[in-house]
Amino acid sequence: MKTFTLFFICIILSSCNHFEFSPNQTFDSISLKDINATNLKRLGSGVNDDTVKFVLTGDSQRSRDETVKLCRTVNAIDGIDLVVLAGDITEFGALKEMLWISRTLQDLTMPYVAVIGNHDETGRGKESFRNMFGELNYSFVYGGIKFICHDTNSREYDFNGQVPNMPWMKEQLKPSQDVTGFVAVSHVPVNSLDFDSKLREDYMASFAQTPGFLASLHAHTHNHEVLYPDKSGIPYIVTSSIGNREFLVIQIVNNKLSFERVPF
Amino acid sequence: MLTVSCLSVRAQQFKFLIPDEAIVQYAGSIGFFSAGAGYDVFGNKRGNLSFHYGYVPENKGGELHVTTVKLSYKPWEVHLKEWGKLYPFNPGFFASYTFHKDLGFRFPKGQYPGDYYYWSEAIRPHLSFNTELDVKPPKVLENTAVRRLGFYIEANTNDFYLINYLQNMKTLRLDDIFMLGIGVKVKF
Repeated sequence: MKTFTLFFICIILSSCNHFEFSPNQTFDSISLKDINATNLKRLGSGVNDDTVKFVLTGDSQRSRDETVKLCRTVNAIDGIDLVVLAGDITEFGALKEMLWISRTLQDLTMPYVAVIGNHDETGRGKESFRNMFGELNYSFVYGGIKFICHDTNSREYDFNGQVPNMPWMKEQLKPSQDVTGFVAVSHVPVNSLDFDSKLREDYMASFAQTPGFLASLHAHTHNHEVLYPDKSGIPYIVTSSIGNREFLVIQIVNNKLSFERVPF
Repeated sequence: MLTVSCLSVRAQQFKFLIPDEAIVQYAGSIGFFSAGAGYDVFGNKRGNLSFHYGYVPENKGGELHVTTVKLSYKPWEVHLKEWGKLYPFNPGFFASYTFHKDLGFRFPKGQYPGDYYYWSEAIRPHLSFNTELDVKPPKVLENTAVRRLGFYIEANTNDFYLINYLQNMKTLRLDDIFMLGIGVKVKF
């Protein structure tokens, strides 16, 4: 009996982190908080960095094994300032999935930020994303480049005309002293059936009208492609998925953007 | 007279509805705390069927109401002297339904094409196994209806975690996907 009790107590004590209240809970005693804000603080403003070089990746859903390999590959590349994960961190919008992926991404030697994808908005995912990563629409400036990270998962809102949030977007696209160029980062690309068709024209026109707007960056389709959906010449660049073992390294020098596909 | 005897026959018939045990559980993926009623089932009474209501308060992960049906089986029984028995490994299955405005039984048909998402947000199927220590109640409970007390620890996983595990067996371990709960059964 004594041995059993001791054994029992040992199991319980060693596994306190394993007491789950629900797979639908949106935070727990060990889940991370405000990852985006913390990592952006670490990133800094890059005022003296004339070469902005970052990784665009996405769709880490059900791909933790591959995410480990991605981290190894990215860490071996010189001069990467940050990694942008463009949505579908999870398959089922579960807190545990976000935890598993974010724990792996902590192995990156540079900061990363996450943008929300449609799968992350199923179940209680939106709330879990807010708790773990932060706002669904946010922006930051690094090396004079403004990254406008936002939610384009219109289908999850039943195409209510408010996602992407155009008034917010237009506010973000206003010129400012410390900004020389703009990139937009979101999960669903503008040509997708999952993007609100009512907002498509206004969305593309807003980018086209913004001086210094360089590119719109996406994931979602799991296949790399570059689209020119209007006559502005602005590229809409889609990265392949982590599961398909390819990401993009994007470089901005003198407000000129170039990119390279990196298989891993 | 006829009605009365009918009713008493009915009452007899429905006697099986009276639960064999009351259950209180902490965690275990069906609530911060949950309460339930259980029945010994199958001819050898080694099966256990139970119904639970669980609650997660706002400050423990966002407010949730959860109902659960569990079925488990005790294949082995170890006698530990007269005061207790150990059921070392009891596999089981349970299904939970979580009530929350964000969680639908199914994804709305008008909003999504037929096979867009393939799971239900509100229903979770779980696999479980538990270890139960069954003991004689202490003296203070001697003249009450309490027959035995059961203390158990239960590990469970669900379809979401299992799919992630099966596709990522290099980086996820079984203890990443099995979650724990502990509970007490008061057996009548």
